[in-house]
Amino acid sequence: MATSSHLFPQALHMIPTSQPSKKLRLSSFLSCAPSMNPPRLSVSRLSLNHSVSKSSFSLDAKARREVLVRAEGEGEGEGEAEEGVDEGNVEEVVEAKAARKARVKLGDVMGILNHKAIEVSEKVRPVPEIRTGDIVEIKLEVPENRRRLSIYKGIVMSRQNAGIHTTIRIRRIIAGIGVEIVFPIYSPNIKEIKVVSHRKVRRARLYYLRDKLPRLSTFK
Amino acid sequence: MAAALASRLTKGRSLLGGLTNAFSGLMSSSNGSILSQQQQRTFIQMGTTLKVVDNSGGKEVMCIQSLRGKKGARLGDIVIGSVKEAAQKKDVKKGKDDIQKGKVKKGNVVYGVVVRAAMQKGRVDGSQVRFDDNAIVILGIKEKKKDENGKEKKKKHAGGFHQPLGTRVFGPVPHEMRLKKQLKILSLAQHLV
Repeated sequence: MATSSHLFPQALHMIPTSQPSKKLRLSSFLSCAPSMNPPRLSVSRLSLNHSVSKSSFSLDAKARREVLVRAEGEGEGEGEAEEGVDEGNVEEVVEAKAARKARVKLGDVMGILNHKAIEVSEKVRPVPEIRTGDIVEIKLEVPENRRRLSIYKGIVMSRQNAGIHTTIRIRRIIAGIGVEIVFPIYSPNIKEIKVVSHRKVRRARLYYLRDKLPRLSTFK
Repeated sequence: MAAALASRLTKGRSLLGGLTNAFSGLMSSSNGSILSQQQQRTFIQMGTTLKVVDNSGGKEVMCIQSLRGKKGARLGDIVIGSVKEAAQKKDVKKGKDDIQKGKVKKGNVVYGVVVRAAMQKGRVDGSQVRFDDNAIVILGIKEKKKDENGKEKKKKHAGGFHQPLGTRVFGPVPHEMRLKKQLKILSLAQHLV
């Protein structure tokens, strides 16, 4: 019960309060549901009438019905949503539709999109394993500087993981002045990343280098 | 995005390590002040002192007006400043480092373009760049307000961009100069970032 309760707010806003459309929706839910538990789907549909009255939810009975079906449609009904529905009441088997692709679980869409985007980028150019403390060399194509690739070398001060916008912060002393540049490592502008060497560090972010001698941030 | 912001805020000076970070995180969220250990680099505004990195004669300039933006100037913007410190004639070596004619003296009000800023500047490809100091290249001296000179000054400013006074630029220069049409600075630069 508790687990299915989190579905209610999501489902509720989709449910209009008019009845005829609900019937339609009910059937559409059923028709588009995956074949995870076809017998149970049928059970829910047919046994809804008397099960709902027994349930003690604070929702509208019709809404409850909708939600139940939707829960099963999600494939997230861990069987607990069905506890409200009388199990084994009706054993009629409804022909489930052919197996459909697993539906994306709510809440992980961004993660999946990020994974896909990273995959695409990795195919073009694989990204080596970069950690804080690595001394790397990056070859960047700057659209303004069409002739040659710019080369940036330096120590990785930090790595921020954010899916496709995972960035690394490179520090180097250039012409006497410390410069820090943040690069998104999956950017198509970056033509090559190469780890030149590694320095042992005991931190994840090396911001202390800003206060230290320039010598520590100089890389030939 | 939030993580990147947090990382910029953290400047690990604290002795207490994690404890202070948590405490100062609390502080900065409530006050929004810099009295916590964390530093956030901000704009170049009235009162900011900037290093002069060309050989026009000035050494340090204090910004008195940023010509762009309500909050202040960023990398690549033009500011008006007052020369606080200028190179003495006897300090300068002969040769390439010679101070140019029309050199800048202490107390002059000058235009300058910010070539290095401690505040990060984002670029269109998603990268960001920041330097360790604030530096400008002096573009021109602002004449005292007389009628004919005032008119002249206005025309020059509106027509094109000022050209740098000096003949050499020291230190790295970012690509943003190209967008700001400071091509002479780009060509004089020792190193392009």
